[in-house]
Amino acid sequence: MMDQEINEDSGGESSILVWLTGITFFAAMAAIFLFVPTEKTEGPIQRIMYFHIPSAWLSFFAFFIVFVSSILFLWKKEREWDIYANASAEIGVIFCSLVLITGPIWAKPIWGTWWVWDARLTSTLILWLIYVAYLMLRAQTDAGSMRARYAAVLGIVGFLNIPFIHFSVLWWRTFHPQPKVISSEGFGKGMDPSMLATLGVSLGAFTLLYFLLMGQRIRQEKLKDEIDRLKREKLFSS
Amino acid sequence: MNLYFNQIAAIVWKDFVTELKTRELLSAMFIFALLVILIFIFSINLSIVKASEVGPGVLWVAFLFAGTIGLNRSFMLEKENGCLMGLMLVPADRTTIYFGKLISNFIFLSIMELFILPLFMIFFNIEILEYLGPLLMVIFLGTLGFCALGTLLSSLSSNLKTREIMLPILLYPLLIPIVIGVVRMTGQLLEGVPLLDMMKWVGLTASFDIIYIGVSIMTIDHILEE
Repeated sequence: MMDQEINEDSGGESSILVWLTGITFFAAMAAIFLFVPTEKTEGPIQRIMYFHIPSAWLSFFAFFIVFVSSILFLWKKEREWDIYANASAEIGVIFCSLVLITGPIWAKPIWGTWWVWDARLTSTLILWLIYVAYLMLRAQTDAGSMRARYAAVLGIVGFLNIPFIHFSVLWWRTFHPQPKVISSEGFGKGMDPSMLATLGVSLGAFTLLYFLLMGQRIRQEKLKDEIDRLKREKLFSS
Repeated sequence: MNLYFNQIAAIVWKDFVTELKTRELLSAMFIFALLVILIFIFSINLSIVKASEVGPGVLWVAFLFAGTIGLNRSFMLEKENGCLMGLMLVPADRTTIYFGKLISNFIFLSIMELFILPLFMIFFNIEILEYLGPLLMVIFLGTLGFCALGTLLSSLSSNLKTREIMLPILLYPLLIPIVIGVVRMTGQLLEGVPLLDMMKWVGLTASFDIIYIGVSIMTIDHILEE
């Protein structure tokens, strides 16, 4: 009875989040395709930026959560943190893939090539490889304490690699468009206000989507644990 | 403190005795590295490209691939007959196992590299003797970083079902910063640029080494836990 109430409660919360995410996404779509003016030199293809940057933000944020959850897991040894790290890594890899897909679609007409070995492109690709390896490690090991510990170690090692990747590929070469939102001229100076507003809405929508997906994935994983527990209980009682 | 170093030395000594007895690892690593260099020489046309531009990359790829064989073996050997369990039962700090393995991996890899360097010089027709000092310094930094992270991940992957496959998949993306650094430094050295002009790369590789040794000390307890 208690369990049911808890489930209904979390269901209520997540339905608010579903609606909020839906509405924000609707607003973001309207802003991207109807409200914001077309960029002068790049044309309509520039609109992909409103998906590209939020996806990049979401994946980096997700990887940061993996890092924090991994540390907390090794410290507290609670299954909860392992679930968070797993869910966040999965979401991060999906959105990192989206970044790597939307980038070349934009680059082909603008730069004339699908891919260049620029600092940011390279570091995003390496990051993607690290977290794909993380998910592979999880898939390779059986559920339990060993998987959680190993994954946590890799989650920490992988995130600490980011500054090294950043500097090594930056000194290697770079041509990516310079950051426009937070530039040396000040916050939001490099961009038209309407574009900045659209990007803001889109960022908000993606961030909400992250929490929505996290909530779903965590619930799923917990239900899986519950099923495993019940299975074992029934197996030994019969 | 003395006891701690003695424990590390005992693990390194044990690895050396095993290697002297079996003579499996060093020869395999050496031949493998040689093969990697040969395959690269066949796949690139040395009459078109400048040897000092592609050479460093080939050299480091050979080191890393051959090094992976050593890393894979280092903990696999302990899994046989439950030797790792024996090591863990020793009333010593778990970091001694990490440092012992790190040092023996590092020494094996360095010996192999010392044998490969003259061959590299001959095959690529590159004069390395005049830059030998800085070059050995770069090789030291790169090999240490490779072994620091490699030993940690090898202790982890040795417990997996598909250990030989998983180690490179886990290790190589994390090694990319250090590979870019050492290849760049080696290339510049062979062009005659002094090491002092590349302090940012030296700093990057050295801090990579220090941070990953530090992280390994902090996390090895969680890996070697049964």
